[in-house]
Amino acid sequence: MEFDAIVIGGGHAGIEAALVNARLGFRTLMITQNLDCIGKLSCNPAVGGLAKGNMVREIDALGGEMGRLIDATMIQFRVLNRSRGPAVQAPRAQADKPAYQTAAKKTLERQPNLDLFQDTVVDFILDGSGRRICGVVTERGRRFSASVVVLTTGTFLNGKIFVGEYSTSAGRIGEPAAHGLDRPLRELGFTMGRMKTGTPARVSRRSLDFDKLETQFGDDEIVPFSFSHTGVDRPKLPCFITYTNTATHDILRENMSRSPLFSGTIVGAGARYCPSIEDKVMKFPDRDRHHVFIEPEGLDTEEMYLNGLSSSMPEDVQEAFIRTIPGLENAVIVRPGYAVEYDFMDPMQLTPALESKIVEGLFVAGQTNGSSGYEEAAAQGLMAGINAARKLQKAPPVVLTRAEAYIGVLIDDLVTLGTKEPYRMFTSRAEHRLSLRHDSSDMRLCRTGFEIGLHSQERWGKFLEKQSSIDEMKELLRNRHLNETDCAHTPESLSRHVGKSFYQALKSPETTLADLVALEPEGLGGRPVEWIRQVELDVKYEGYVARQDRQVDRFRRMENMRIPEGFEYDRIDGISSEAREKFKKIQPISIGQASRISGVRNSDLALLMVVLGRRPARAV
Amino acid sequence: MSTDEETTPDADSDGAYDPIAALATPYAQSAVAVIRASGARVIELVAPLFSRPEKLRDARRYTIVHGRFHGRDGRTIDEVLVNVFRAPNSYTGEDSVEINSHGSLPVIERILETLYSSGFRPAEPGEFTLRAFLSGKLDLTRAEAVNEIIRARSDRARSLAMNRLGGSIERAIDSVKGRLVDILARVEIQLDYPEEDTGEVVIPPEVIDETIVRLESLVATYRIGRVYQEGVRVAIAGRTNAGKSSLFNLFVREDRSIVSDVPGTTRDYIEATTIIDGVPVRLFDTAGLRVSEDTIETEGVRRSESILGTAGLVVYVVDGIEGVVADDKRRIEQISDRVPCIVAWNKIDLVDARVCPSGFIGISAETGDNVEALRASIAARITPELGVVDGRPVIDSVRQKDLIERALVALRETKVGVDGGVPVDAVAIDLQEAIRALGEITGEVTTDDILDAMFSGFCVGK
Repeated sequence: MEFDAIVIGGGHAGIEAALVNARLGFRTLMITQNLDCIGKLSCNPAVGGLAKGNMVREIDALGGEMGRLIDATMIQFRVLNRSRGPAVQAPRAQADKPAYQTAAKKTLERQPNLDLFQDTVVDFILDGSGRRICGVVTERGRRFSASVVVLTTGTFLNGKIFVGEYSTSAGRIGEPAAHGLDRPLRELGFTMGRMKTGTPARVSRRSLDFDKLETQFGDDEIVPFSFSHTGVDRPKLPCFITYTNTATHDILRENMSRSPLFSGTIVGAGARYCPSIEDKVMKFPDRDRHHVFIEPEGLDTEEMYLNGLSSSMPEDVQEAFIRTIPGLENAVIVRPGYAVEYDFMDPMQLTPALESKIVEGLFVAGQTNGSSGYEEAAAQGLMAGINAARKLQKAPPVVLTRAEAYIGVLIDDLVTLGTKEPYRMFTSRAEHRLSLRHDSSDMRLCRTGFEIGLHSQERWGKFLEKQSSIDEMKELLRNRHLNETDCAHTPESLSRHVGKSFYQALKSPETTLADLVALEPEGLGGRPVEWIRQVELDVKYEGYVARQDRQVDRFRRMENMRIPEGFEYDRIDGISSEAREKFKKIQPISIGQASRISGVRNSDLALLMVVLGRRPARAV
Repeated sequence: MSTDEETTPDADSDGAYDPIAALATPYAQSAVAVIRASGARVIELVAPLFSRPEKLRDARRYTIVHGRFHGRDGRTIDEVLVNVFRAPNSYTGEDSVEINSHGSLPVIERILETLYSSGFRPAEPGEFTLRAFLSGKLDLTRAEAVNEIIRARSDRARSLAMNRLGGSIERAIDSVKGRLVDILARVEIQLDYPEEDTGEVVIPPEVIDETIVRLESLVATYRIGRVYQEGVRVAIAGRTNAGKSSLFNLFVREDRSIVSDVPGTTRDYIEATTIIDGVPVRLFDTAGLRVSEDTIETEGVRRSESILGTAGLVVYVVDGIEGVVADDKRRIEQISDRVPCIVAWNKIDLVDARVCPSGFIGISAETGDNVEALRASIAARITPELGVVDGRPVIDSVRQKDLIERALVALRETKVGVDGGVPVDAVAIDLQEAIRALGEITGEVTTDDILDAMFSGFCVGK
């Protein structure tokens, strides 16, 4: 069977990659091991959070699906860090897991140009050169052709799960691992590695003692993740909080030898920022308690997720330590926690378009690249999908910069620096953090999404309307000055700004845009609260953003200096051998990317630029 | 958000990069030094520091202008030639100036300092060449050659610095930087894990204060560091024929002394560098201090006076045969008002010499009698000031000083932000800037370093 594009895997990366290609008009096939597992939230029942929530909104602004899926299936919404400055605020939603999956599958099924097929890909079909992909072969011997393939294997490639002394080949508990594809990958010269992640036990809701648990409700006001949604109307469920104690920790310590993490059975690299409870107890012996968040897995299920208790201890140990925790004394485990170890591919073998440097037409996204998290996976799936489609269109790839999106930071980090542990996004990874607010994602990326062809004219029109409305407001703020009459009926804090423009007055921390809207209801009022908030933050933070930009300005210029594909680093005399090896391996696309490679010195860069021997484009 | 209301115009609005300056000739005593400055608004920035600003501003093409370069306080630093280059006809392709000054280290340092406090930042190694390349000014071979030289020089400079200081500055800065990284990591982890019980986000003001004090005291060592680098200025004064030159020659007869005529000043003073008790000393033999009808000599005397004004110590030589005459008495009093002064009673080897009164050090510059006592006395005067340095790091380059000051500015901004209730994500910008500036001295702090600090110190993650 012939297709334009094939997506291997139906997780969060695969969903985005498949939808993009189908929506851009390409005959697309998604092959997954189990159609019932499309869009599964394998671990925590939540989408968003710090930096991750921003990425979900960026995905939406570019024309991806994740924002709409979570808007349609959330059962609780919160803005985190509400009191801590806008650049580090982020939306997070509890998801109804089964509903999320259903919504994802339904979206794929109804997408024109997209076929779904249940099977396991075990080999690639390459052209005569052996360096260009033309299709895939499945376990059952089916052959499908396509000139681009997006590989998203998640935790399934040679996946192996561990529960104490028990271990078996699986990508998730109860779901077989995918075998076969690692062989051609290795033969083609891909560097593979092992990574590890884990998940906690699920317990039955009715076995919990809610009297002993703190209840945590979400926010009343819901900000939709998707910019195409004006509101979200969903049932709301609370979460619950409890704590481990010394009895819990004693049990864990006594049984540490039975943990596959500490017995040496697991070789894969785990993430420091997603530690198991065993890790926490061993690494922080002084802590006498750790947080546990108990989160519902959905409206129609009684399963509850024990966030913070990720563990691969034997089941009897899991039950014993869980039952030392207040509220969980009689907890009934319905699924045990487990660790999973899987193959990943060194992402430094990819271009910033997420295309393999070894096999043309092969794009790789998600956990296969060593990342962690639904949002990180979806972001890569979207960009890999976009660039696979761009390749089919013979259009240049879309590479987001670190200054315009967390997605840009994510991909640049992965392909430039690689990763030694499952890569999770943090706001602290983004040097342009102040410019990457979640509420400004559409201003940053909607145009790109439209130009790629992923937005309808209607959505684009609405965006332009918002943009011009925001510009009008800023214009008015600049031109309108605060006078004596204004101050007669305004907060005292405003009166010291008499004579200044509204714009200047708004920069003072105690002034709110609401104060000014009250003075100029016609010009400034009557707009959605989100738009007003956006203007307020833009103005208030302008000075800091300018400072931030000055600090990172030098890097931006270097981004615009491109290095031609296939550049021969051996031609350069005088660069350090370390830099030469790294350049050859990573094949940076710009001097900017080259400058971020560890071990590269200024003199190496200068020489590289000199030898490139052409006048680079000026910064815009 | 009122701390940065005036956004400075983007430096690249006219296609030029931010203004940088650096010494283009080797950092050493020499006849002429060239300081190169390039970038946006470079001429505008230099003009106010020059005695004929309009000449610079009006230069439409390559022009050489003669005049005086002065500090921000308006005081002349040196007589210079300024070469003005207009874009694109310059080495970098940008508007540039080259300041040709006398090649004395204090002059170089003062000009650089003035530039660095007037909108320029120190150029990084290779940065001029980089710009030249960026603007398409350099052909391949030429650029490569220049780059090689720069690389060699910066590497050598670095190893020299490392050897001289035994890494102690690095350690001091690293310890300050380490504390800031800890604070930043603490802030970042709280920002990235809002739901965990990591405590409230606090940038502890007392730690910032303490860090500011530590950095300020490091900056203060710059003066001491310069003493080690440039030497303590010791001037030998006295009336004509008191024996100044003999004493000078006696000191500089040491193996490690270097005598040089100061360019263009044959009549006024001679300078030599020697080492006394481990401390580099720049010894000046001034012209005889007497009122003269000879205009050239008068000019020489005037310059000698200025040497005396900038000396750290004066050795006043009295002719032991004549004793302290009225002129000596007046001079000694004048000098003692301003700088430490040791009075040497010369010519004790001669039979005519009077008995050396107490408080004076009797010597013979001719025979070297008792010169050791004078040497010990000099050492005793110049080392107490430096004694505080023992075992403590000192900074000795403008670049280090500039970077520490940049960190200080950022830390003071941090403080303003913290006190003013500015949200912590914005304050973090300043904290990062401080860390970055210190990182330029001792090695860059990467995101991974921050993440390491975050996850080694905090138990987070679900």
